[in-house]
Amino acid sequence: MTKLTIDDLVGDLAPVRRIRPVQIWLLALAGTAAAVVAVWYLFGLRGDVLAGEPKGLVLLRGGTLLLLGVSAVAALAAAARPGVGHASHGWRWVLAAAALFPLVTVVLSLAQGAMPMAELTSPSGPWCLGIGGGSGLAIGAVLTTWLRRGAPVSLTRAGWLVGLAAGAFGTFAYSLNCPSETVQYIGIWYTAAVGLCAALARMVVPPLLRW
Amino acid sequence: MRIDDATLARLMLRAQDGDAAAYRQVLETSRGWLVRFFARRIAPGQVDDLVQEVLISLHAKRATYDPARPFLPWLAAIARYRWVDALRRSYRAGEQELIDEPSSEADADEMVARISLDRLLALLPSGQAAAILAVKIEGLSVSEASVRCGQSESLVKVNIHRGLQRLAALVESD
Repeated sequence: MTKLTIDDLVGDLAPVRRIRPVQIWLLALAGTAAAVVAVWYLFGLRGDVLAGEPKGLVLLRGGTLLLLGVSAVAALAAAARPGVGHASHGWRWVLAAAALFPLVTVVLSLAQGAMPMAELTSPSGPWCLGIGGGSGLAIGAVLTTWLRRGAPVSLTRAGWLVGLAAGAFGTFAYSLNCPSETVQYIGIWYTAAVGLCAALARMVVPPLLRW
Repeated sequence: MRIDDATLARLMLRAQDGDAAAYRQVLETSRGWLVRFFARRIAPGQVDDLVQEVLISLHAKRATYDPARPFLPWLAAIARYRWVDALRRSYRAGEQELIDEPSSEADADEMVARISLDRLLALLPSGQAAAILAVKIEGLSVSEASVRCGQSESLVKVNIHRGLQRLAALVESD
């Protein structure tokens, strides 16, 4: 039976274009740029960002989100071309660094003995979820489409990574509009937006990648 | 004649460009390698089907091979992925005993040991590995495995479920 299959497979052979990691990098870059332009066009950007003089916290949160997205895309690029011993794990350290924001939020709340009510009830919070999550969904769809051409062998992990990358880039786009300048706001709403994207992708993406 | 990994990588590069003769060599060599790879890690009656599934996957996903990297770790990742899938399917009772395929000298090298199924199983907690080996690979019933492994029947089921989930997540680990 196998012998017959080999004849069939050889008969079906046609030249293929190899999957290249640069493709997913370009898609992620294009998706993020499109999300930033959409946020700029629809909602406007922060004054300090437009002036080219962003505040320190804006740089810090934006940089963290970009690093998280980049590290997740690097892992996805590796996952598309599988190999025992080739998995990329750098994203875990970046995720741990990003987790400092919610961790600091908890620590500050405990130290102050009060919940950060101003941030929890901020009217921009749902916008953060909507814009960050919505942009993330669009970027995640693009990443998933590309990944389906690959051969990911750990589908659950790939799902999480798509969500992390998409959520991080989508929330980065929102962060250029976000009026808030507190760590607690980032710890609550940015974490929720990225977490929502990751959880959704964890559920939706693996069945789409099965091969 | 045994073909080394560097030669397989070159042949696969040519196969990606449409060279049928090179591709046939890749498939023939991979088939033999896969039979040895799966020896004693799947019921004998399932080996042919599993090897065929892996070869079909190799064909469908041949664009994902990076010629700058060794060939066998790529093939092993696909083989492990299909193996975990096969373990998830129910074991057909009444299979023959597992074949103890002797390892060849070439298969005893460090890289092949690193990408083997034994290495993957060794990454599991011992209780999970024992339950999977007994039920999914050797074909014992859950109650027989319970006695063999010293676990309650419900624990055997839980260990199989969790172990297979963990195996799926560890496919690329060495």
